[in-house]
Amino acid sequence: MSNELIDFVLVSVALLGIGIYGLSVKRNAIRMLFAVEIIINAANLNMVAFGRFLPHSGGQTLALFSIAIAAAEVAVGLSLIIVAYRMYQNIDIADFRSLKG
Amino acid sequence: MLEISSTPLVIIAILGTIGVILPIISIARKETGSNSFYAVIAFAALIVSIGYVAYQFVTEHVLPSALFSEDVLVDDAFGGFFAIAMLIVAIFTTVGSFNYMRKQNHPAVYYSLILLSTIGMVLVAYSTDLVMLFVAWELMSIPTYVLAGFMKRNPSSNEAALKYFLFGALSSAIIVYGISISYGLTGSTNIGEVIQGYSTLDPSFLPLALLSVGLFIAGFGFKMGLVPFHMWLPDTYEGAPTPITTLLAAGTKKAGFAAAIRIIILGMVALNLDWTLALGIIAVMTMTIGNIAAIMQKNLARMLAYSSIGHAGYILIGLAVAPFSSMGIQGSMYHILNHAVMKGAAFIAVGGIVTTLAVTNLDKLKGLGRRMPITSLGLVISLLALAGVPPLNGFWSKLMLFGGALDASSSLSWAPWLAIAGVLNSALSLAYYGWIMRKMYFEGETEKRVSEPKSVIAVMIFSMIFMVALGVYPDPIIKFVEMASPTIGLGITP
Repeated sequence: MSNELIDFVLVSVALLGIGIYGLSVKRNAIRMLFAVEIIINAANLNMVAFGRFLPHSGGQTLALFSIAIAAAEVAVGLSLIIVAYRMYQNIDIADFRSLKG
Repeated sequence: MLEISSTPLVIIAILGTIGVILPIISIARKETGSNSFYAVIAFAALIVSIGYVAYQFVTEHVLPSALFSEDVLVDDAFGGFFAIAMLIVAIFTTVGSFNYMRKQNHPAVYYSLILLSTIGMVLVAYSTDLVMLFVAWELMSIPTYVLAGFMKRNPSSNEAALKYFLFGALSSAIIVYGISISYGLTGSTNIGEVIQGYSTLDPSFLPLALLSVGLFIAGFGFKMGLVPFHMWLPDTYEGAPTPITTLLAAGTKKAGFAAAIRIIILGMVALNLDWTLALGIIAVMTMTIGNIAAIMQKNLARMLAYSSIGHAGYILIGLAVAPFSSMGIQGSMYHILNHAVMKGAAFIAVGGIVTTLAVTNLDKLKGLGRRMPITSLGLVISLLALAGVPPLNGFWSKLMLFGGALDASSSLSWAPWLAIAGVLNSALSLAYYGWIMRKMYFEGETEKRVSEPKSVIAVMIFSMIFMVALGVYPDPIIKFVEMASPTIGLGITP
């Protein structure tokens, strides 16, 4: 069974779609965070596949950079969500409405 | 190879060292709680950095606006211009926090995060490689997520940070996706090579190239506060600590524009696309929606947040007409510098009012001109400059922007409409600025003068001098902008 570049790109586009769907429909902060992570991983998949199948160099390195930075981002995001949970006992962002106008 | 004495590397060294050392010092000193010590160190580091950038300009070690290089960073005049604007904003933020942070915990971490975020902003302007740009973008964003939620017992600060984080994370995810596509199409992440690859692209791949440019516009648009992507902005600007709002409105937003000029505009030119219309429509929508929403606000910080959306629209006019008029891009860069100072001063004034009187509601600002005369004067001058009243500096940059739109009319028949929309919006914005001024000076009778924070007064005096002096005599700054602005024309070959 042979893998072609187009398969990877299609999976990656599907993941992008899932991520955008999750962000626009879900209102739970952790679900939204995961949707963002799915988009970042779709991009990583793209980069690794391009680096593997095309005569380009450095795709894997790019993916490593992006994984490391995404990890830093998630650490900050989860800590913000924990603070919110301690304050509201809830992480549904539709319930955060102290700022309105 | 970049020399070791080139501006971006020296700024990384200075700000990075101080930014890492500050928390270590605070652990060693066992947190005595006095924040002025850390603020002074951070302030000194920023002054040294801005001095170094100016020194490099004076001794002519800076390349003319190159926009491309083989390295990941280039020490050119374009980056230096943005570095100066962002370091001014960081200095405003540090000085403005002096009073705001007096009774808060963990001052060392706070100032260290400001310095780290500043490195990110400066590097965004200097980077000529998509990976470097992405790393710098995250270095700029991640500290500001923490800073926006720094008042962790305050629900609105936390809410502001969470909303900002979700949209910010989405914006960086979209940017990575855009980078992955452009890497796949051209086999490189160097901006110059990407653009060259785009201009010789097989037509069957054009939709993918379009998708990548669209993703870049969306990703940077979140930080710039362009209209379909602006939902988070008023909430975050209102809820975050006011000095941090200054950093967001005047700093990270401008970094978005720096990245946009380097990538989007050149990418459009390389793809030979007529995206001018799309950017023009976004510009008009952004300024109109921002200004109309601002009129209906009851909260001073929120009103300024909407006005900052409106200003993103004015700046975008220059980017929209950039391929047809060099004046457009110069006007954009000039307005970016001016807006950084004007909006920075306005938000620092709001911060001073919040810490002294604990009010932000417009109805409670009655008689502010008698209670806090210097802060009020600074606020009024920055509001007038934002509205573009001559002879303040905002007038000249708006004149250049709208002049650029008229200048482009020979090749774009609808470009003058951008100028007309801009002028109408400026008039509209004068309405709500005038309302604030009326509340402050012509209402209320019996208020007594209260003592104003000295740090706020210092920022006010500096920015008043900047706005008035460079409004009366704008020649040097216009020359500087002309030198720093890149030349963009159709058919550019990097």
